[in-house]
Order: sequence, then structure tokens, then C-alpha cells
Amino acid sequence: MKKFNRALVLMMTLALVIVAAACGNSNNENASGGSASASSANAKEVKITFLNSKGADIQAKLEAAAATFKKANPNIAISIISTGDGQSPVEMASTLYASGTAPALIMLDAGDISKFQDKAADLSNEKWVADMAQPNQIAGKTLAFPFSIEGYGLIYNKAVVDKAVGGTFDPAAINTTSSLEELFNKIQATGVNPLLIGSMDWSLGNHFLALAYAAQPDGDVVNYLNGLKAGTEKIADNTAFQGLMNTFDVMKKYNAGKKDPLAVTYEKSAAAVAKGEAAMTFNGNWMYLELQKSNPTGEFGFIPVPVGNQAGDKANSAIAIGATKQVIVDKTQNSEAQQAAAKKFLEWIVYDAEGQDFLVNQVGVIPAFKNITLQPKDSLAVSIKAYNDAGKSIAFAGNYVPGDHWKVLGASMQKYLAGKSDVAELASDIQNYWKTAK
Amino acid sequence: MISEKHRGKRIGNQLLFTGPAILIFLAVILVPFVYGIYMTFFQWDGVSSTMPFVGKDNYVAVFQDGKFWQSIWLTIKYVFFMVILVNGVAFLLASLVTAGIRGQHFFRTAFFTPNLIGGLVLGFIWQFVFHNVAVNFGEKFGSSLFATSWLGDEHKAFWAIVIVSVWQYAGYMMVIFVAGLMNVPKDIIEASTIDGANAWLRMRKMILPLMVPSFIVTIFLSLQRGFMVYDVNFSLTKGGPYGSTTMASMHVYDKAFRSYDYGLGQAEAFVLFFVVALATVLQVYFSKKLEVEA
Repeated sequence: MKKFNRALVLMMTLALVIVAAACGNSNNENASGGSASASSANAKEVKITFLNSKGADIQAKLEAAAATFKKANPNIAISIISTGDGQSPVEMASTLYASGTAPALIMLDAGDISKFQDKAADLSNEKWVADMAQPNQIAGKTLAFPFSIEGYGLIYNKAVVDKAVGGTFDPAAINTTSSLEELFNKIQATGVNPLLIGSMDWSLGNHFLALAYAAQPDGDVVNYLNGLKAGTEKIADNTAFQGLMNTFDVMKKYNAGKKDPLAVTYEKSAAAVAKGEAAMTFNGNWMYLELQKSNPTGEFGFIPVPVGNQAGDKANSAIAIGATKQVIVDKTQNSEAQQAAAKKFLEWIVYDAEGQDFLVNQVGVIPAFKNITLQPKDSLAVSIKAYNDAGKSIAFAGNYVPGDHWKVLGASMQKYLAGKSDVAELASDIQNYWKTAK
Repeated sequence: MISEKHRGKRIGNQLLFTGPAILIFLAVILVPFVYGIYMTFFQWDGVSSTMPFVGKDNYVAVFQDGKFWQSIWLTIKYVFFMVILVNGVAFLLASLVTAGIRGQHFFRTAFFTPNLIGGLVLGFIWQFVFHNVAVNFGEKFGSSLFATSWLGDEHKAFWAIVIVSVWQYAGYMMVIFVAGLMNVPKDIIEASTIDGANAWLRMRKMILPLMVPSFIVTIFLSLQRGFMVYDVNFSLTKGGPYGSTTMASMHVYDKAFRSYDYGLGQAEAFVLFFVVALATVLQVYFSKKLEVEA
């Protein structure tokens, strides 16, 4: 009996020790930056982690890039982790911070960078800062590495629209709400649906509605949003908002999915445009991957969303473009060596031929750096780059809104799309949201 | 062996068996629960290194958050219909598969299977059914009920969630009912048959009273699962269309992880905990009174 007891106690203790050791171990590994030394290299191997929040599309490509990078830098090992489906980057990052295993490189949505101000290393002295197309500063410091530039507008199928206008269609011809309606009419006359509006809340809330914030006369999004928060700006009386909603009404009128507007998913809208069943949809250049699934050889381009009937208005012929995904380097839970390795990887992406190839050719993003001369391959990215180079761009206002904006006001936009509310109700939803926004 | 003389030894022996369970319970239930309550008195965005004390502000905000009470009310409505339908359907299925029909073992397995599919996967499957299959069916046969996607209409989307939940849980509750039905003593049924009781009378006066313990379990389980619903809600409607099917759990999650307001999210979670605890305790208390001895 006694023996039996002692054996059990021993086993229990052992089990506890193992558990404790396992916990301690993982901590240890991260803090010291990995203790395993590569036999081939003399220096100790530095292990860092990269949090990818751009989804499964680029996960494999990032892993391949990390392997390529390791060939040139044998003592730096980068492991790539990814956010879960539907999980926000902040949520994942805060979990990792809480468990003391913050990645050295964290890819965040642009709007969230300011939350990490006290955790992000100052990157102002990095070489690539001088080569950025637009400055990217918070409180006078460059805290984040712009991973990609993205833009959105009305995506059109070139073949379908060319046929409707009888010749090569020039998107610059669409610079007012009425010219857009004319084009819809022409397309409808050829027996094709003019457009199919996707009902995704993120698209309607953070992209479409955000156009109203970006299309302000002075183009200063932050200033306008502060006005909304303070209650000095009334969205219902705003010209850009009214113009945008007029355009939305026209879009609703010609929407192929108007019988059941909220059943149009992202995939459905992409497939319809790719197959030529609808000429246009509202979305961004990331949709190319989805379009390609239904039509690998199709050519697509962007038409700006007009916000009024003044042909000369800049916002009427500009696409919303911005650096949506940005990478910060953590300085609170990563050692100096790890931070240095992380910075080296960022530099490699911008200046190494293989890094540039990864960014532009593999992942297919539009780089935010002037020194990268590789041309994007897909037609949507080419279109964005053309607008950007010509200076025909307004702010990607979704980068400046709080994390729940897409869900709360996306729902209000859906309600409007479904015809269950009017402009006055939508405007009061927006006003109320900003009153309580943090 | 259990009744050790020495007090220390007795406690040691007890700890040997219950210790690991207590340890895990403390670590994953009790400590987070208490820490959660602690967090309701602070304002925190999940990232910031400072966490200012705000006192009762979060609780005041809970009572001012109209959307939260809307979601609670919707959840109560959902639980009401779901509990009735799940238990009703499950009891019918259980009676069917114990009635001695051919292939009843096959049917038992078949009805139970949906419960083996995770709520998320299930939601995606049914999303396809409501978005594509039902709409195609509606267009083909000119049925106006199915002509547009159920998930695009706020009332139908609510019923879509109820239907999927019933489909998911009915098989599970059926298994509990089957066990209960098999334990109804054959002799009293036989005796009542000889006394001339018809099937309906037997069901009402004999079987149902003896099944009360099973009902207590199934109603408790479905109540609790109904209040906590998240996965089906998330994968089927994502709270849409236009936020009309956001249940309480989803609202709490959104407050904490989308609005980055952990304090308020926790406070709302705590209120939700009270609602659920109250409902289940009341249910168990009242249904215990209905129990009878055979």
C-alpha cells in the first residue's frame, strides 16, 4: 500500500515537472532567440517569427521566401505563422503578446499600427525609408514597413465593356455619375448585366462608404474623421457623401442581384464579372485571384466611383489607393539580434532581386517602393499602378477607421443596399457610430 | 483503504485523485473567470501596456448599449424556439427508432451523425444549401418561399439558424431519449395495456412522467447550448443580414475583439453569464419537482 502510494506520488510529481518544463521551455527558446546552433554556420542561429495576416494565399509564398532568404543568410531562420480565418491581426497579435511570444515581424492592417506605437521599433533609420513612394509616419517616426499598396473601384471586364461601347473603352471617360449611368445603359443594351454589387460588409463599409471620407475637397481624411468624432461635421449635409449615395442609388438600379441583393457573395460577384455575365463589380485589386479562377486569361481594369456630376472633380476620376498591410518590428519581446534579423529581412525584400521577385511576381502585390521597377503581372495591379503613377489617387480611408467600422457601418450599408433603410437613416447611423468611436 | 486514520494521509489520498482535476479546473475555469470580472473595472484595448481603472463605467455602458440588449432578446427568442423544437423533434425521433421499425439501428446512427460535424463546417454546408440549393429549387418550382436566399432576409435568416441548430442537436438529444425510453419498465406498460389504456393515454400517464429525468438533461443541455451559440451563428450568417441575427455571444466577441473594448466586452459577458445561470437554475429547480418514481 505504501509502496503503491509512493509510486503514484512520484508519477504525479513527474507529470507536473514535465508540464512545467514544457511551459518553461517554450518561453526560454523565444527569449534567448533559439539555442540550437547551425553546424554549418559559425555564428549562433537567430530564430524569428513572422505573423502573416494576408491569409492563406501568400502563406506558402512567404515560406518559400523565408527559405530563399536563409540560403543567403544561413544564420537567420524565419518561421511564418498565420492568422486564423476571420481572425483580425490585432486579435492574434495581442494573444501572442499576452503569452510572451510576440513575433519579431507582425503584419497588421494599416489602421491598427498606432495601437502598437509603444511596442514597434523605430524604423526611421532604415535604408528603405528613403525609397518609399509615400511617407509613412506616426508622430514623426516611421514605425511600419508598407508591405503592399492596394486600391479599389469599379472592376470591369474589358472584353464586355469594349463590346458595349464599340471600340476600346477609356475609363477616363467616366467622370460623373451620369456618365456612369450612360455606360450602364449601353451595356444593358447589349444584353449583359451592367453590374453585380457584392454584399460583403467589409467591402460596403470600409471601402465603398469610406470613399465619402476620402473624397472631401481638401483630401484630408484624418481631419474629416476628427470632425465627425467631435460632431462638428454633419455627414448628411456633406456633398461628397450625398454624391456618393446618388451614385450608389444608380448602381442599385442596375444591380443584377437586386432581386436578392444580400445573397451576392464575394465569390459570386467575381465569377459573374470573370465570365462576362456582369460587366462590373465594386471591389479591389486583390480580387484578381478570384477572377482568375473563372477566367484565367481575362483582362480587367478599374473605373473610379464618381461622387458627383462635376467632371473636373479630382475624386471623380481617382481610385482609392493606400498601403493596407504594414509590418512592424517588435522591440519589447525580441532581442536585439532578433530585431536586427527582422530588419535585414525587410531590407532583403526591398533591395534583393530575389526579394523583389517574391514581392511583385510571387505574391503579386504593388510595391510601395520607388526603387522596385518590376512591373506587376495582373491587369488589376497594372491598372492601380497606372492611376497611382498618374497621381489620380485619393486616400484609402479604410486605413484610418476603427476596427469595428466595417462590421457596424457595413451592416448599415447592407440595410441600405437591401432597400430596408433610406439615406437619412444611414447618415444617422454613421453620425452615431462616430460619436461613440474610440 | 480510503478511510485512512491519519488526517494528512486522508487528504493526501483524496488530493491524489481529485488534485489534477482541481488544478485544471482552477487554471482554465476559475482563474480566467475571476480575472475576467477584474477586467470589467478597467479599460483596455488588448494591446496597450496601460490599463486605466474606470470603476463601474463599463457596467453603465452595458446598460446603455442598446444593441447588446437587442442581441440578448434575440438570443432568448432563439433559445425558446430551439429548445422546444430540438426536444420535440428529438422525442419524436426517439419514439420512432424504438418502435421496432426495420433498420432502426441504421436510423439511430443517421440521425446522430449531424452532431459529429463541427458547428462551423455545418454552418458552411447549410450556407450553401440556403444560398444555392434552396434558391435553385425555388426558381425551378416557382416556390416564392425559396425564390430568394433565406440568409438575405432578417426573419428568414433567424429561422435558418433555428433549423440548422435543430438539425444539429436533435440527434444528440434523441440518444438521451432512447436511453430513457428503454428504461421505462415494461411491466407497468403491460399492466396499463391490460387495464385498457390506449397508446395516447399510455404516453401521457406512463411514459412522459417517467421520462422527466431525460427531459431535465436534454432541456438543460439545449438551453445552455442555445444561449452560448456562436459557431453556427458565425458561419451561417456572420450576424447578418445587416447585423439582424447577431446573438449575444457574437456581440460580446465583437465588442472585445472588433471594437477592442475588452472591459465592456467582459462586462457584457458577465451579464450574459447571469442570464444563462438564472435560466438554467430555474429550469432544473422546477423540473426536479416533476420527477416521479416508477
